[in-house]
Amino acid sequence: MLLDTPQSQHLQSEIEQLEARLHDLRAQLDASQYPSPPASHPDQKTPWTMSSGEQFWFFRISKTFYTNPSPPDIYKHDNILNKFHSSSVRSSSLHALLLLSDSALPLGSFAYSSGLESYLAHNKPLRANPITSFHRFLKLSIASIASTSLPYVLAGYREPDTLETLDNDLDASTPCIVAQRASVAQGRALIGVWERAFRMSFAVPAATDTGAEVAVTAIDDFSDALKSYNDEDNEYDLGPKGHFAPLWGVVCRAMGLDLHQAAYIFVLNHAKAVLSAAVRASVMGPYQAQNILASQTLQDTIMKRIQREWDTEVEQAGQVVPALDLWVGRHELLYSRIFNS
Amino acid sequence: MRQPAMPIRSPFESSIAKPGQGTVVLSLLPPNNPTLTTLTYKYPLKLVPRAPGFVPSPESSALSDSCPSRPVHLYLLTYGGGLLPGDHIEVSIKLEPRTRMVVTTPQGSTKIFKTEPGNENGIKLIKGHRKQMPANQHLADMSQQSLDVKIGRQAALCYLPDPSVPFKNSRYAQVQTFTVDAAAKGNERSSLCVLDWVTQGRTSRGENWNFRFWRGRNEVWATDETTGKSRLLLRDSVILDDETEDLNDSDEDLDDDAGESGLNSHSGRAETPPPQAGLVPLNVIQERTRPHGVLGTLILSGPVFDSLGSYFMQQFNSQPRIGSRNWSSSAPSSAPEPSLSTTGDVIWTAARVRAGFVLVKFGAKDFETAKHWLGGLLREEGSIIREFGEEALFCL
Repeated sequence: MLLDTPQSQHLQSEIEQLEARLHDLRAQLDASQYPSPPASHPDQKTPWTMSSGEQFWFFRISKTFYTNPSPPDIYKHDNILNKFHSSSVRSSSLHALLLLSDSALPLGSFAYSSGLESYLAHNKPLRANPITSFHRFLKLSIASIASTSLPYVLAGYREPDTLETLDNDLDASTPCIVAQRASVAQGRALIGVWERAFRMSFAVPAATDTGAEVAVTAIDDFSDALKSYNDEDNEYDLGPKGHFAPLWGVVCRAMGLDLHQAAYIFVLNHAKAVLSAAVRASVMGPYQAQNILASQTLQDTIMKRIQREWDTEVEQAGQVVPALDLWVGRHELLYSRIFNS
Repeated sequence: MRQPAMPIRSPFESSIAKPGQGTVVLSLLPPNNPTLTTLTYKYPLKLVPRAPGFVPSPESSALSDSCPSRPVHLYLLTYGGGLLPGDHIEVSIKLEPRTRMVVTTPQGSTKIFKTEPGNENGIKLIKGHRKQMPANQHLADMSQQSLDVKIGRQAALCYLPDPSVPFKNSRYAQVQTFTVDAAAKGNERSSLCVLDWVTQGRTSRGENWNFRFWRGRNEVWATDETTGKSRLLLRDSVILDDETEDLNDSDEDLDDDAGESGLNSHSGRAETPPPQAGLVPLNVIQERTRPHGVLGTLILSGPVFDSLGSYFMQQFNSQPRIGSRNWSSSAPSSAPEPSLSTTGDVIWTAARVRAGFVLVKFGAKDFETAKHWLGGLLREEGSIIREFGEEALFCL
């Protein structure tokens, strides 16, 4: 009896390993979802024959949204495209773009896995093929962040003066403490970075976009409200929280990014954070993660999700992946955890 | 106590109610006599009130300082027991201070009938204009239900309906708005208990999240009637969209969208998703809800449901840790008897979010499992039966 149990367990794990290998081999046999060596995909070379990768990147986004018959009013796309090479306005925006997409931006995003850790714990059998399982998660996670948070990024950018309302509404829409903590921590960190580092350089009266000034004022006001708020005046008056998504939109506006860039970096940064978490959770190696991050398929997914939510009002924002809420909420139940969410 | 000086002027009273509209006002006439001062409805909606004999005993009630009023039971019915495409149900309920209402759906699950495939109008419209129209605007042939409940101070709503069952190809949007009195404090606050759940469809017919669109939005607002200011306290919004209207018109794309194949569908390299046994989703909604067959949300707030909220939190926090191991090898069979809250069939989470709200979200493999789990927990805790009577759990 005592011998049987370990033996059967051993056999069981052997079977699982073999099944996992079978899965892996099948997956390899089928056309690979992600490009492995870049050289094998000639279409990936196109961007590099252009004058700069940045231009290609920007061009792609513009093209995607340009087909939208009702483009947002903020900028005239033609001007931007034409001015791209020479204009100093654009180059200053490029600088801000790189700052905000930097993984060294001290927001503490590395502390959160956005539910990945919990997902892995809840889907043990799927781990036979961790990569396939992870791809599923990444797709769900991007769809979810785009449907729940992206409308708030866009609204924050489009109407910076509504920041406080957006913050309250997003707080009301965040269904679990774990996600709330993650969002608030990063949002407040973003205010910190803005105040201590970016404000000096970017809060200059810019002639190009009056919205930037409004955005700067909005962040200042919000930050003051955050500091001066003393709770418990009223049970239903909950005060500002500092959620990440609307603040991201406002900060991007203040730093002179355009709306497409603000939206794209927001989702891309999310994908980066999830991939980084995947590396640290031993789902995959760093090269594999970069491979996914660089892939055209990820870009397409991000674009598709942004395009889908481009005109979504914040009132219509909602969770499209209900299962994700459950995983994130149950992160607290994990026996051992390396991430905060 | 702010009693209205004159009869409430309902916006619906002067005009004849539109199809599917209904209005209910529940007032507390002195000394302690709950009365429906307004009750109108129009086909296909039907509202049937019933004053049950149940009287909450003062000593068992959570609010010992005030004698709770008798709950009034309201049955929410539609002819045919479901919603056809284009049906708009609009129910507006007002609970005046200190009243209590139980709302249930005695016909069983709310069936959402399918959007007729012959009716190409709506679909054509979407395809032609899909760039302009976000997913939420093509409401023309969608079934819709809106419920608007104003809950006065010390009033309580207990709304535990059957789940909605969207049939194959159906499209449905539901908005439930609950407004509480922002000026009320402590034990004077309005209370609400709201359940909203959706199933994968008719499992007997093999339906498994095969509908086109389902959206459930629940909002709680705090409105200060003196200043007229409103603040959103809670918004729970779930969108289950098969996203087929996003796709190109080519038919081979129909099964191939943002689901498993979304990442590679535009790459031009992998034309079809690799068929991995057991991992290939049939549709996007299935992929996003897996492994659940029913999903739901329970919203609890206010003094009447405080103890229930705490009970859910305590049950949630006492669930066994995931991935923990029993390091003591000497006790091989020490695993505790799985209790209601810990069975693996129901994946759930509870959170005390803000303004004292407790939000419970759950997913289960099928309706019966979820019903058994939720009904079990609510009966075990017992406060709903104490405050509203056994009938409040009619659907569970």
